[in-house]
Amino acid sequence: MEQHKGKLEIARRAALGLAVAAAVGYGVGSVKAQESPADGVTKDRIDWGLLMDMSGPTSASQSIWVAGFQDYMKKVNEGGGIFGRKVNVLAEDNRFNAATDKIAFEKLVGQTPVIAISGMGTSASQVALAPTIKAGKVPIVGTYTSTSALSEPVTPMVYNGFCGYKQMAQAGVGYLAEKTGAKAPKVVTVAIESAGGKEYHDYVAEAVGKLGGTAQLISVKVTAADITPQILELMAAKPDFITIYGVANTSILTMKALGQYGAKIPAFGITYLGAPQIFKAIGPEAGANYNFISCFTPGGADASAGNAEMSAYADKVGRGAMKEDINYVAGWVVGQMAAEALQRTGDNPTRAKLVETLSKGFTVDSKGLAAPFTYTPTNNTGPVVFKMFGYDYATNKFKAFGEYADYAKYTK
Amino acid sequence: MFQQVLFSGMALGSIYGLVALGFAVIFKATEVFNFAQGMFVVCGAYLAVTAIAILDLPFPVAVLFVLVMAALIGAVIQSTLIQPLAGRPILAVIMLTIAISIVLRAGIEIAYGPPARTLTTPMPSGGFAFMGLMISKLHLTAALVSWACVILFGLFFRYTSIGLLMRATADSHEAATISGIRVNTMNRLAWGIGFTLAAIGGVFLGQLQIVSTELESIGLLALPAVVIGGMQSIPGAVLGGLLVGVIEQLAAAYISPKASDVAIYVLLLAILMVRPWGLLGQRGINRV
Amino acid sequence: MSSATTSSPTATARPGVRPGLGRIVLLILAVAALLYVPTLLTERAIFGHRLSNMQLLNLGLTQINLMLISMLGALSLNYLMGCAGLISIGHAAFYATGAMAAAVTGTQLGWPFPLVLVAAGVAGGVVGALAGLPSLRVRGLYFVLSTMAVHYMVTFGFLEYQFRVFDVVGIPFATPSLFGFELSTPTRWYFVLLALVVLTYWGLRNTLRSREGRAMLAMRDHERAAVAAGVDVRVLRIKAFGLSSAIAGVAGALYAYYLSNATAETFGINFAIQFIAMIIIGGMGSLAGAIIGAAVWLLLPSVIGGMASEIGPMPGLLGSLLTEHRAQFVQLIFGVLVIVLLIFAPGGLVGLAHRFKALFGRRSEG
Repeated sequence: MEQHKGKLEIARRAALGLAVAAAVGYGVGSVKAQESPADGVTKDRIDWGLLMDMSGPTSASQSIWVAGFQDYMKKVNEGGGIFGRKVNVLAEDNRFNAATDKIAFEKLVGQTPVIAISGMGTSASQVALAPTIKAGKVPIVGTYTSTSALSEPVTPMVYNGFCGYKQMAQAGVGYLAEKTGAKAPKVVTVAIESAGGKEYHDYVAEAVGKLGGTAQLISVKVTAADITPQILELMAAKPDFITIYGVANTSILTMKALGQYGAKIPAFGITYLGAPQIFKAIGPEAGANYNFISCFTPGGADASAGNAEMSAYADKVGRGAMKEDINYVAGWVVGQMAAEALQRTGDNPTRAKLVETLSKGFTVDSKGLAAPFTYTPTNNTGPVVFKMFGYDYATNKFKAFGEYADYAKYTK
Repeated sequence: MFQQVLFSGMALGSIYGLVALGFAVIFKATEVFNFAQGMFVVCGAYLAVTAIAILDLPFPVAVLFVLVMAALIGAVIQSTLIQPLAGRPILAVIMLTIAISIVLRAGIEIAYGPPARTLTTPMPSGGFAFMGLMISKLHLTAALVSWACVILFGLFFRYTSIGLLMRATADSHEAATISGIRVNTMNRLAWGIGFTLAAIGGVFLGQLQIVSTELESIGLLALPAVVIGGMQSIPGAVLGGLLVGVIEQLAAAYISPKASDVAIYVLLLAILMVRPWGLLGQRGINRV
Repeated sequence: MSSATTSSPTATARPGVRPGLGRIVLLILAVAALLYVPTLLTERAIFGHRLSNMQLLNLGLTQINLMLISMLGALSLNYLMGCAGLISIGHAAFYATGAMAAAVTGTQLGWPFPLVLVAAGVAGGVVGALAGLPSLRVRGLYFVLSTMAVHYMVTFGFLEYQFRVFDVVGIPFATPSLFGFELSTPTRWYFVLLALVVLTYWGLRNTLRSREGRAMLAMRDHERAAVAAGVDVRVLRIKAFGLSSAIAGVAGALYAYYLSNATAETFGINFAIQFIAMIIIGGMGSLAGAIIGAAVWLLLPSVIGGMASEIGPMPGLLGSLLTEHRAQFVQLIFGVLVIVLLIFAPGGLVGLAHRFKALFGRRSEG
């Protein structure tokens, strides 16, 4: 009987094997048309990769960035693409997880090859992948966050695409110190306990130190529901102004609590915290003291050509609600950067040609969505010119304080 | 400073207590250790967003909408997903609730899109000074409403006939079946109530910060709350919630915000070692 | 026999069956296939015939390697849960312990890699034995919760260690080398990890068949009887917990080295929950179930994602799900599959296979 069972087993496995083989065989016939070439470029298509968190804890901002990038590329494709090729965006979801990021990165390098990758929103993954990227062939064009592990020393493989923390700190501190007229300003950084929080605070302390002032770091939990203890500590410190690093929730809890406790201290958030929902959640009273520092102009905040173009397109494709989110603008501008890079690489681009073109240096002109920014063989910092933005609750629009040119002096 | 931190902890703890109460009702009736309770909180917040920002309902109607929808969803989840797994090992059921929260999260993110939503209601905001304390009106409202709900449900379980039937069913399914109580209906009711209580908590948490699926982790603090208070005990859940809120705030104030989670779980482990049935639970039911 | 197999701890335990020629051929084929996997996935061609991404199920070697590391975790957890009757949400904590031990011995002290792995195993085992102590007092759900508390304590310790000793962006791990053999490519990692998984599987299977293993099974099924037979249940339980956590500790060190950077966030509560998901999907109490469950949990989302991107433009709601909300859609499908499996296949995939086998067996005999 045992013998009998063994044979049956083999027969069943053989049948299963045949079924699998048949399925694979069927697949060979049907999908061959979509075969990807090694560098992600075909006769009529260029594949471009994104690596971002689209279903994890930071997806609320990162997937909006992805939308901005995709929309710009849609617009490019509607205008005929680049040298007749459509740009096909392969957006991979890393779920804010370094392991998933590594899998997705490998996929974009070898399985469904792309010519270049943008985004890389998880700083831990950037650190983990940095050696591979630097020694590899696929350039990172337009990062969503910059870690020194990836972008230093300057390499032809990496180009930052978001406002840098250092310049955010310099511009924000410089502007608010001037505006509040505080000599030797006392500043408090409210930051979530994370990789970037301490780094950002160090930049703030450096900028404040130059003015002869002092800076204090107060940490909060990412998923807190109330931060009364930290706000009491903050109020006891009596700062001239506050700067906030974190997620939307960090700004909301800080500003709301300050409002409840009747403290009117001016505050500015980092660029990522420039979303209309944050201002709406804070409310007009406390929101009057809240600004954010940004190297990008949110949709509708001014009448530059780039802004009008972006706003009109976002409205057209039904993403009008997103255009005011700074993450959407940042994605759109990196889209411009990617298109510019491909344009310069010329007809028949390859990874090697793209890297060669980029490494010689180039300038991205976003037509007013950001001050024009330039990459050189020794500098891949990206956007460095900033502006402070607040919210006008009467018209439900962002308002800028001054021009980009006014702020250049802070980040020199 | 201490009193201020204590007050904020109590206010927060009241919301946790409410969510934990919902958790305890579900556990008492169906012995399901519900890891989806955090996502139920998120659902409540999004139901409120739907009613207020999308459907533009007047506030009292919106409240009714949230309550009714929450109860319905809870009952539907029980009858379609939980009931088929009755009597299965606890781990399978726990996994089921985790899978439910994965599905709910994905569904919400598809339906409402990635940006977080703001929830504004006519509930009071701002603050006032009272005996040297700065009292946030929203926190106070949240605490008062939570306590009102807790008392209301306490009375419901103690004095109404349905409440009595539910308690009887929870005590012994067999005895309930013999005496003609429809056990499944009672279980459905328990899930409806559990979901609704979580949803009310979600409405407040959504207003305290912003509505996004990230509220889940705050809602999940109901788990340690229930264990600390005593899993079979309704007042225990409320006490556990209060304790978790107060410990969270005290740890954040006097140790570091990082330490708040671990402080809660240290207490939980201590309770498990000394009094596994929880602070207000009954001895002898620590074998599940 | 078929009814006995369903409750037997290891699906492979089949006393009395002599390996026939067919089995040997199958075994050789299986080994050959396993050896061919890295070539297949790096060259993305089968004997020179190029395959599309979807024909390879959207899989890459990195994913396979991470799956193998997860298999170590799932195997040890299933050994603990299915075979020793203990339930734990502490596996992320033991992974973290292993990673931390590797950071101290490897990154800080520069020990050779094999010694680092041993240290990670010892650290995992010690912390595991400590975490198992509450089992002396509480059982069932309460014990699960005590392991959850352990999880938060260990990850807090990891966070403190990471922030004090290393950079905020995480703990770096250098490329390890095993007796002069540098693990610098996914293919090299694959063979090392595969060997470890096979070794662990074989070791755990033998442990289960040993005297102690049988005592443990007795303990799981009839605690009083085991006590009456002179088995010290409490010691066995803590031993089992220690062994299981030691394996998880080694896996944690491998995980950290494979990713070359580890942060406290890496080992969150979701990381712990995924192991429970794996053994439930595969089949609780069966080592084969752990293997299958880990494979499904790690590979399925990517297969679904690949299919979703392959389908191309679709009209209406499905189209928008596949393009704009693909990440969520993949999660949704995945969650639904898990629910369906839980409701309709109580014994996991292994249980399902047994049910089919029973069905076939009866037909062929009748």
